[in-house]
Amino acid sequence: MTDLKFPAGDDEMTGALRGLYAAPAGHAYWNELESRIMSRVAEVELGWWTELDRWLKPALVAAALLVITAGVAMFRAQESDRLSAYDELFAPTPVPGAPVEASAIQRSTAEPRDNALRFIISK
Amino acid sequence: MESGRAEERSLVIAAQAGNNEAFASLVKLHQRRAYAVCRAIVLTHEDAEDAVQDGFLHAYKALGRFLPDQPFGAWLYRIMANASLDLVRRRKVRDADELPDTIALPFRDPGEADELRRRLQQALATLGERQRAVIVLHDIEGFTHGEIGGMLGIPEGTARSDLHHARAALRKLLQNIRTPDEDTRE
Repeated sequence: MTDLKFPAGDDEMTGALRGLYAAPAGHAYWNELESRIMSRVAEVELGWWTELDRWLKPALVAAALLVITAGVAMFRAQESDRLSAYDELFAPTPVPGAPVEASAIQRSTAEPRDNALRFIISK
Repeated sequence: MESGRAEERSLVIAAQAGNNEAFASLVKLHQRRAYAVCRAIVLTHEDAEDAVQDGFLHAYKALGRFLPDQPFGAWLYRIMANASLDLVRRRKVRDADELPDTIALPFRDPGEADELRRRLQQALATLGERQRAVIVLHDIEGFTHGEIGGMLGIPEGTARSDLHHARAALRKLLQNIRTPDEDTRE
């Protein structure tokens, strides 16, 4: 493939182009540019947003852990509520005047005095 | 070369951990090449300096998102190219009224030593920043089409065709300088 070269065989033109785009020579220039760049970097570091950016990842991890912990706690609380509701549903309800078993009285903690009275009457 | 890559990788990891000396070493390693990339896109040395500083600043801020196993140079030069293109856009807005005057200067006899350079500069200024960048990065800095495509965010084939069109456009623009010389030879 013939490559359309710019400028075709013209050393003078290529030289001019190289001269136009030549990077500055000498270590002093580059050292100075480096120190200018680093002083701007140091300025950025002083900003609060940089600190915020640095803490962003740990903060996101902590927030995720918090959400997971809260989720597990809520799930456990719901599960506990569900189990106690289930227990209440299948627990024998005392009929007024009917003999009450001692174990049933022990189960009920809401009205201990009433249960004790029923037990005495049933004897 | 492999040890250089490993050293660069360790510098990147240290810089990501907040070590500014490591970042300074990365600046030292890449600033000349970074300048060349910026200079290929912007029109003046001063703008190239500004773009290099902006580019390194962007790179420093984005360093946390860089994957150390990737080539740092390619990532950095893309940032440099973007910083330069941003600068060119800002300049275009600011200098919208001045630019046509600098391009449409009358033709002068290219007898003076600086005349060729001056005309070359004018011709390059008429090219789009992407075409200018492609021609300088390829013909002067020696980057490959693939590398240039990566920097400018264009496919390799587009970089290749941009180069072809840029050369053709530049040759046409400079024809009026070259013709008098050719006439005297004949």
